[in-house]
Amino acid sequence: MTNLNATQMTELLRIISMRIDEASAELGALDGAIGDADHGNTMARGFAAVVTACVEAANQDMKAGALLPIAGRSFLNAVGATTGPLYASAFLRAGQAFDAQEDIPVDRLPEMVVCFCDGIAQRGKATPGDKTMLDAWGPAARAVTEAQQNGAGPVACLDAALEAASEGREATRAMVASVGRAARLGERSLGHVDPGAASAVIIIAALREGLANLLQGEAS
Amino acid sequence: MVKRSGGNSDKAVLSEMPMRFGDDPLLWAAWLYYEDGMTQADIANLMGLSRASVNTYLADARTRGLVNIEIEPDRFRSVMIAKAMKDHFNLQDCLVIPSEGGDRSLFERLGAAGAQVLKRLVRAGDTIAVAWGRSVLSLAEELHHPGLADIRVVQASGSTTARIRWTPEACAARLAEALGARWVPLSAPAIVSSPEMRERLLAETVLSEQMVVLSEANRIVMGISSMRPESTIHSSGFLDGVDQQAHYQDAVGSVSGRFISARGEPVIGPVNDRTIGLDLAALRAIPQRIAVAGGIEKVSAILAALRGGYVNVLITDAASARGVLTADGWQEPKRRSQVPPPVVDGAAPRVHHGGDKKLINEARDIVDESIDGLLLAHEPLLAKVPGTHRAVMARNGPRSGKVGIVIGGGSGHDPGFWGYVGQGCADAAVMGNIFAAPPPDPILAASRAVHGDAGLLYIYGNFSGDVMNFDMAAEMAAAEGIRVRQVVTTDDIASSPPDARGSRRGVAGNVFVFKIAGAAADLNASLEACEIVARRAADCTYTMGLALEPVRLPDTRQPSYEVGPDEMEIGVGIHGEPGVMRQKIVKADDAADLLLDRILSEMAPVRGDRVALLINSLGGTQTMELYILARRVRQRLKAHGIGVHRTFVGPYFTSLDMKGVSLSMMKLDDELITLLDHPCHTPALTELGDQKGVK
Repeated sequence: MTNLNATQMTELLRIISMRIDEASAELGALDGAIGDADHGNTMARGFAAVVTACVEAANQDMKAGALLPIAGRSFLNAVGATTGPLYASAFLRAGQAFDAQEDIPVDRLPEMVVCFCDGIAQRGKATPGDKTMLDAWGPAARAVTEAQQNGAGPVACLDAALEAASEGREATRAMVASVGRAARLGERSLGHVDPGAASAVIIIAALREGLANLLQGEAS
Repeated sequence: MVKRSGGNSDKAVLSEMPMRFGDDPLLWAAWLYYEDGMTQADIANLMGLSRASVNTYLADARTRGLVNIEIEPDRFRSVMIAKAMKDHFNLQDCLVIPSEGGDRSLFERLGAAGAQVLKRLVRAGDTIAVAWGRSVLSLAEELHHPGLADIRVVQASGSTTARIRWTPEACAARLAEALGARWVPLSAPAIVSSPEMRERLLAETVLSEQMVVLSEANRIVMGISSMRPESTIHSSGFLDGVDQQAHYQDAVGSVSGRFISARGEPVIGPVNDRTIGLDLAALRAIPQRIAVAGGIEKVSAILAALRGGYVNVLITDAASARGVLTADGWQEPKRRSQVPPPVVDGAAPRVHHGGDKKLINEARDIVDESIDGLLLAHEPLLAKVPGTHRAVMARNGPRSGKVGIVIGGGSGHDPGFWGYVGQGCADAAVMGNIFAAPPPDPILAASRAVHGDAGLLYIYGNFSGDVMNFDMAAEMAAAEGIRVRQVVTTDDIASSPPDARGSRRGVAGNVFVFKIAGAAADLNASLEACEIVARRAADCTYTMGLALEPVRLPDTRQPSYEVGPDEMEIGVGIHGEPGVMRQKIVKADDAADLLLDRILSEMAPVRGDRVALLINSLGGTQTMELYILARRVRQRLKAHGIGVHRTFVGPYFTSLDMKGVSLSMMKLDDELITLLDHPCHTPALTELGDQKGVK
C-alpha cells in the first residue's frame, strides 16, 4: 500500500474516536483534578463528529487529503470550547500539508503529528512547559522529524512519536499550569498530568494502531 | 497549697509574685519560662526556689494543661517535607525553609539557609566548586566562616559578561572570601565562539591547570535554573543567539550551565561544545553536590536535577519541595491531629449531599432540550437564531441603527446567558456545550441576525475557549463587513492577583456588564461609546465566590472535586474548577464577611460611594440563605458608609447544581446608575424604569 484513500483515512479517525471514547471517563477525572472535568467528553464529542463528517465525505468519493479540513470544521462546530479551535487548527494545518485532490501517502502519514503540533502551537500560543497538550505534541513532532531523517518507516515514526509524547505527558506532572483554566490553580496543578497531554498520547497511539492494522491487513 | 522548698523565702515569693497570677506559682513559673523566656535557674532565683522545684512546676503546668506544647505547623511541615525529600530522592540531606517569611526575598532566605548548611559540611582541605545563581551568591554573602585550612574554591564554569550581579566569577570569589579560601577562577569565557576555540583554550597552561583543580573538587555549591525567560540561564547569556525552540525544547532546566531534560538526561545543543566548565558527567562524579534552589517556577527543573542525580544535598522551600514531591507521585501522610475520628459502630454513616439525582432524559440531550423548553416558555421574548440550535435572539431587541449586543459562553449557567436577552439588554446569546465555549459558526449566525448596521459588541467571560471562539467569529464577521468590538469580563478576584487582572475569569459580574451595555445600546450610543461604558462597568465589578459542594456534570454524575463534609472551597470557578483555598465551613455572617472583605480590599470604596450588589446562588443554594447573606452584606456596607443603589438576590448566574454563592459588587457613577435603572425586559431581568433605589 502506498496511499491511504478516504475510506482508510476515515478508518484511522474512527479508531482515534473509539480510543478517545473509551478513555473519556479517565480523561474527565484527570481534568476534574485541575479543570472542569469535561475534557474527555469534549474530545469524544469532537472525534465522533469528525467520523460522521468523514464517512459522509468518503461516500462522496472525496480524496483522503480533502477529509482533513472537513474534520477540522466538524470538530470545531461540535465542541467549541478550547479544544475546538486547537484541534480545528491542527486538522486545518494538516489539510494544508496534504493535497486535497490526492490520497495520503502512507509514508507521509506521521507528518500529521507535526502538522497537529504546529497548528495547535499557533492557535494556542502556549510555550513548552506551560502544562498543556503542546507538552506532548511538541516532543512527538520532534520525534517524528528525527525518525524520518533517520529513514524510519511510518509505523516506526509513530512509535517514536508515541514514546516521546508519553514522556511529555509524564513531564507535565512537574509543571505549573500557566495558561488555560488550570492556570488559576497555581501550584495546586502540580503532580497532575495535563489532560490535554494525556489525550494527545491517546490520539497518537490510536493513529499508530490504525496504521499498523491497515498495513497488516494488506500483508495477510 | 503547693509545697515549696526554701522555707525562708516563702513569704518573699508571695509578696513578690505579681497579682495577676493569683496565688498560683505554677502559672507564674510557666509564664516566666514560656512567655518571658527566662531560664529555669533565673526563675528559681526569682521565685526563691530550687531549680528542681521549678522543673517540677513546669512539668505540672503541662500536665494540668496550663501549657500546651504545639509545634508550629509551618515548621513541622518543613521538617516533614525535608524528611520525605531525603527518603524519596535518596539525598544525603535536605533542608526545607518556609516559603513565606518576612521581608527578605526567597533567594536571600535560601542563601542564608544554605550558608548554615555549608558551614556544617565544609572541612579543612576541601576543594569546593561553585556554579552560579542568585541563591548561590546570597549564600556566599551570608556566609562568614574563615579559619579552615587549605580550602580551595574553584569556579565551575567560565566567566560571563552578563548584566547580572550573580556571575560565576562573583559567586566563586565571594565564597572564597567568606571561607578565607584560595580562589581558583576559570580564566576563560563560559561560552566561546566555536568548539575549536574551546579546544585551543583548554590547551593553554593556565586554564588546563585550573581545570585540574576543578576535577579535584569534592563538593560543589550550585543553583538550579529553570528555562523560563527570566531565569539565570537566560540572563547569563547562555541562550543568546541560540534558537531555544529548535535546540532546547526538551530541556526543563539547567545546572552549572548544562541543560537537562525532565528525566534528568543531558540535552545536548549547539552551545554544549562551546561551553567551558564542568560537564554533567563530571558534576555527578563530585561526592557532595549541594544545590540551593526554590520557587514554584523551578519545580520542573529541581525535579529533573534530582532525577538525574546531580544533587545530593538540597536546600529549598516548602512549596517547591512539596511540588517536586507531588510531581513525582508522593502523597502527604496525614498527621495524627488530622486523622478523622474512627466511625463508631452503629453510628449513621455521614451521607455526602446527594447530587446525582436529576430530572433529565439523556445527558447528551440536556442542552438542546432545555433550550427548546426555554424558547417555548419565553416565546414572547425570545426566538431561535435561524440556522442554529443554541443561539437565541430578542424578538424586540435588534433594530436598525442600534448597536447589537451578543453575549455567550458555555451552557450550565442558567439563566446565563439566554436569560439576559431582551429589549434593553443583550440582543442575542450563544451557548455551547456544558461549560464549553460555543463554536464560531453560531456566533457568526447570531451576529448576522441581530446587527443593525451600527456594529456589534461581544461580551463574554475571560476563558481561553470563549476568547478563541469569539475571536474567530469576530474575524469572520469582519470579513463580512460587520464591525465587532469585544469586552471580556474579568470580575473574579480569586482567580488571579490584582496586577494580573487581565487573566481573571469573568463570572456572575457579567450580569451587570450585560445590563449596562444593553442599556447604552438601547439609548442609541455608538459602538465605541457602548464599548467604553461596558468596559468601565467590567472594570468596576468584582466577584468572589465560595462552594459548599462541588458541581456534578450531568453525564458523569461525579463531583468535579472533593469538598469534605465540614469544609468549604473559597474562590471557586463557575465550571467546577477547584478554588484557591479550602477551609472549615463557617456560618453565614462569617462567609459573607469573607467574600465582602476581599472585594472591599480591592475595590477600596470610600464613604459615600455607591454600589450595586448581586448575591448569587451558584445553583444549589436556597434563596433563603442568599437573603441571610444579603442582610449581612448590607449591614456591613452601611457601617462602612457605602450606599447600595440596587441589591439583586437569586440564581442569576449558576454553575449547574453547585452549592455555593458568589458576591458581586459594581462601583457606580452617575452614568452607570442611569444605565442600571434603564428599563429592560428579559426572562431573567426586568426593569420597569420607575424604581428608585433606597439612599
